[in-house]
Amino acid sequence: MPEVIVPIGPHHPALKEPVNFRVIADGEKIVRLELDLSYNHRGIEKAAEQRDFIRVLPLLERVCGICSHSHSSAFAKGIEEIMQIEIPPRAQYIRTIIAELERMHSHLLWLGVAAHEIGFNTLFMWTWRDRELVQDTLEEMSGNRVHYGMNEVGGVRCDLTPHQVSTALERLPFLEERIYQYVDMVNDQQTLLLRFKGVGKLTREEVLKYGAVGPTARASGVDYDARRDDPYFVYTEVPWNVVTDTNGDVYGRTCVRIGELRESANIVRYCLENLPKGPVRVNAPKIAPEGEIFSRYEAPRGELAHFIRTNGTNKVERVDIRTPTLANWTSVAMCLVDQNLADIPVIVAAIDPCLSCTSRITLINTPGGKPGIVTFDELRKRGQTYCQEQGPP
Amino acid sequence: MSVLKEMFRNLLSKPFTILYPKEPVPIPDRFRGRVAIRDEKCIGCSKCSVVCSVQCISMVDSPKEIEFKDKILMRKKKPQLKLFRCIRCGLCERHCPTGAIYLKNELSDSGTDREVVVI
Ligand code: SF4
Ligand code: SF4
Repeated sequence: MPEVIVPIGPHHPALKEPVNFRVIADGEKIVRLELDLSYNHRGIEKAAEQRDFIRVLPLLERVCGICSHSHSSAFAKGIEEIMQIEIPPRAQYIRTIIAELERMHSHLLWLGVAAHEIGFNTLFMWTWRDRELVQDTLEEMSGNRVHYGMNEVGGVRCDLTPHQVSTALERLPFLEERIYQYVDMVNDQQTLLLRFKGVGKLTREEVLKYGAVGPTARASGVDYDARRDDPYFVYTEVPWNVVTDTNGDVYGRTCVRIGELRESANIVRYCLENLPKGPVRVNAPKIAPEGEIFSRYEAPRGELAHFIRTNGTNKVERVDIRTPTLANWTSVAMCLVDQNLADIPVIVAAIDPCLSCTSRITLINTPGGKPGIVTFDELRKRGQTYCQEQGPP
Repeated sequence: MSVLKEMFRNLLSKPFTILYPKEPVPIPDRFRGRVAIRDEKCIGCSKCSVVCSVQCISMVDSPKEIEFKDKILMRKKKPQLKLFRCIRCGLCERHCPTGAIYLKNELSDSGTDREVVVI
């Protein structure tokens, strides 16, 4: 049978964010996937270069609406290392609590989305209902459901009150009971098993070759987690385990995420119970000395990296953000090969993609090879000429 | 089985959703809502306008005597902010030395008019 190209996107009712897939299929089987990202470029890295260390954090939080704490933490801990300031233990604990609550809400959200992709909307409703409890806790602690604004260079912005700590501790047993329910559901629901097992398989070697990160890698038996292997905050003090699985398919990725939900609940409990007393921030200098840092952070979707270069002023010279989704795309393209067309949504959803975080600018060769600035009008004109040359579709 | 169990449990429990706006949605004390300014406390130091992450605060003339730390200060300016440009990041509240600018724990309206100001 001849191969056909199935174009999906960049704007498509089934896509939550713009991305362009060109799926080359032979009958029902996928032969190859061609991807076109970056329809959502927002120029955040450039904007970050124009803001001082106080004003840059709210901007970086907005790289992602789900892992907002991850981005601000990765940046703050990098800058703190360049400035050589030690933040107080209480602040470290609070950062860890927020980070793990964020992981819980992200994984519950993911479980709902994955269930929704296979048409199992019952589970979607239940996980999202339970996620509200985590969101409420975050809102009470930080003042916002999404952009917590907890971090600042030198510590955290607000302290936790004893009432907040006790409310959060009261909510944990219920959440844990729910997580156990999900473990049961994932293991005995045929609806899930039939659509998850053996779908989108990646071997350990493939993961290492294509550089997948986070739950996608851990589900194929790669025992790597930045929280343990490049520790930050208080992960060395808290008893917890890296969750891995050997299935390597969407089912394996679900198991890893549910396992991480359990671990996160334990970490949050430990931190709340052992919250040290003391200040929550130190006064950070306004200016950072010249330096470079590669700050690693285990975001819910995998390893997030911020490369920061400072030049002795109160702004960064360059910040480069490598989001986990970017690292995971190649593995998606590889594991889609030979799968059914109908499995695309669930395989793509299995890496928990976050497209606008991933969008980066592309440098194109200009005639003469010189860098320059293209104005909006020029860009528009170029687009029009391009379309005219191409002719009607 | 686990799904059936959960279904029966849900049948016997109350709905989880809140019928907003008929029923009020609980808002925590720390909620970062609408920005407000206590004019009698502001000493006109401009810190809020410097740290504001979207630069929506401008300082306008408003000479007034203000009591601060048992001293009477003569302020020259006071902040004026564009309400719907504010992203409610809370930086102004965090850096204000007198607690004059703060975020209320009530919902901030939304709108498209960028010129609506809070004084
Ligand atoms: S809360 Fe609003 S006014 Fe205050 S600093 Fe943030 S954006 Fe500016
Ligand atoms: S509101 Fe606060 S920070 Fe802003 S000018 Fe007045 S005293 Fe200074």
